[in-house]
Amino acid sequence: MNKFRTIIKYEWLNFRADKGLLLITLLTLITGLYGIYYGTTEISRQRQHLANLSKITAHDVENMKVQFPGEADAGDVGYYHSTFAVNHPDSWASLSLGQRDINPYYIKLRLLNLQSQLYDSDNINPLKVFTGNFDLAFVLIYLFPLFIIGLSFNVFSIEKEQGTLPLLLSQPINLSLIVAAKLSFRAFIVLGLAVLLSLTGMFWAQVVPDSRIVLWLGAIVLYCLFWFAVIFLVAALQKSSAFNAITLLGIWLLLTMVIPALLNVYVALKKPVPQALALTIKQREVVHGGWDKPKEETMNKFFSLYPQWRDTTQIKERFVWRWYYAFQHLGDVAVADLAKDYQNRLKERQQLVENLNVLSVPVNVQGMLNALTGTDLLAHLAFMQSATRYHDALREFYYPFLFNQVAFTHNDYAKEPQHSFTSTPQISLVWSGYYKLALSFLFTFIVGLFIFKIRFLNLK
Amino acid sequence: MEFVLEAKHLRKEYQDKLALKGLDLQIKPGEIFCLLGQNGAGKSTTINLFLGFIQPTSGAAFINGLEVTRNITKVKEFLAYIPENVMLYPNLTGLENLALFSSLAGYDYQEAEITDYLVRAGLPADAVKRRVSGYSKGMRQKVGIAIAVAKHAKVLLLDEPTSGLDPKASNEFSELLLQLSAQGTAIFMATHDIFRAKEVGTRVGIMREGELVDVLGTTDLNANELEKLYLNYMH
Repeated sequence: MNKFRTIIKYEWLNFRADKGLLLITLLTLITGLYGIYYGTTEISRQRQHLANLSKITAHDVENMKVQFPGEADAGDVGYYHSTFAVNHPDSWASLSLGQRDINPYYIKLRLLNLQSQLYDSDNINPLKVFTGNFDLAFVLIYLFPLFIIGLSFNVFSIEKEQGTLPLLLSQPINLSLIVAAKLSFRAFIVLGLAVLLSLTGMFWAQVVPDSRIVLWLGAIVLYCLFWFAVIFLVAALQKSSAFNAITLLGIWLLLTMVIPALLNVYVALKKPVPQALALTIKQREVVHGGWDKPKEETMNKFFSLYPQWRDTTQIKERFVWRWYYAFQHLGDVAVADLAKDYQNRLKERQQLVENLNVLSVPVNVQGMLNALTGTDLLAHLAFMQSATRYHDALREFYYPFLFNQVAFTHNDYAKEPQHSFTSTPQISLVWSGYYKLALSFLFTFIVGLFIFKIRFLNLK
Repeated sequence: MEFVLEAKHLRKEYQDKLALKGLDLQIKPGEIFCLLGQNGAGKSTTINLFLGFIQPTSGAAFINGLEVTRNITKVKEFLAYIPENVMLYPNLTGLENLALFSSLAGYDYQEAEITDYLVRAGLPADAVKRRVSGYSKGMRQKVGIAIAVAKHAKVLLLDEPTSGLDPKASNEFSELLLQLSAQGTAIFMATHDIFRAKEVGTRVGIMREGELVDVLGTTDLNANELEKLYLNYMH
């Protein structure tokens, strides 16, 4: 153990004296801090935006009161007045933004048909989507392996290349101990930096301190160890430093870019998902067709779904709001299967990605961190379901006014349901990711150990 | 124990070459055995077998009575090695390099002791705390010597250690070997330098094509006779 500590001590002295190693460590620290800044800034911006929505709603209510100074028809209110379904970020979201940048985090809703409103989001800057997020998860998952490679690609080969190996091997020390100590030292540096950045990120984002701290740190530590196992495997081949560097960069490129791109293509082909636009168009056709259909036919369809309003009124007028909202809703009902199918296909695609991400450890860990911070696709789908339920609640709130022909007063605005949704972590997905990550680590390490035993036999 | 370094029918074959043909050799404590031979004669192979860097095809090498391949870590407690070209950690100082290797050998010296070893080996005192990247070959060789001396090894294996050293440094090195020998260290030195071998050696072995063809006592003949004999074997 003393010899292990001795090697660690002199590795530290060597590290301290090597300007190149210090520089890449400093650069990694700076990019990590920038990642934390980027994530927290983005989530602060989203939070600010969401906070403004309640002001917009309050302002809208004030405008409605001016527009309708006395009692109003609830149909007018439902048509002109808008409110918002909001997806508040989890306190952890800034550490891994996941899909919060490409999926809407709020939906503007009126009493009209739901489906066209669900997918009526702002345009996304394609360049922004292409470049992705520079959050802490990105730094840890995609840049830390480069840091590990930079620190360790020549962990053993340099002893041969600088000629120190014979002197080292003439000492009474086991070769495995030398390699273990040298890799352990680098692991201390990398893990220390990863844990420091993670804790700084958590502190900066003021996360709710719960079991996720352990899960996050555990995932990051295991992920870094996986890369050290890759380093060990390549070092065990006993090739030159140049070979090691090229091989390791190739593995990085394969795991972080090539395999994810191939998986993306495969999943898109295997589980095609129809565009939400198709669903919206079909619903629009049904809704617009509602104008031309006999009112009785429309209302009978609607009453079959909501028999409680059957005896409330008879429609004789050319236009009444309750008929208008009835065919709006029937538009949603007409595409209910399509909407469900769309959601299911997204879930199936997500499931396929879950099954295949064992092929790319970075993709697996990205999924784990997104699930941990409530920023993955499942969190977004849960928000969409929550928004759907909110729209149902709005209809249930307005229908008594519409069908009982009760006037809508200024006091009723305050009774209108409000929406709030905060994504929750998908802990079961995190655990499933853990198993795969642990398997990847063990497999790589054992293969490395096997090669080490064979290749180093002549270098005792 | 009579012999601290011993080879019994030591043989090393590579796929296309027989590098060592059944070497038998015994070296006592305090003895300096110089092995002469051309490049490729098998001198370095012999040293590498004693160091355990390569496995013998047959036969065995012993250090302090222990069979090398079976006691690979233990035997290194008893031996020190100075290669032809001592390479050290360039980012560390001479002092740190010696401290590292001594510590690995089980000796944790104070800074003053380490400095003393380095200066005694001939390293200028002002170079002790300078990074090795700025050292000449001769300075590195002296650190190598200090590493070997500080280890208090029973056996010293030297692979052409004076190669590239200037005559003064080479002479100082010879004196150091004689001191170590007087203290009971057995020294096995592979060299091309016939005169150095005659000067410091107790016995001189001549190796040709992996075979130890002759072993002579250095008191039996002078340097010129040794050279003639050596050249005869080489032709």
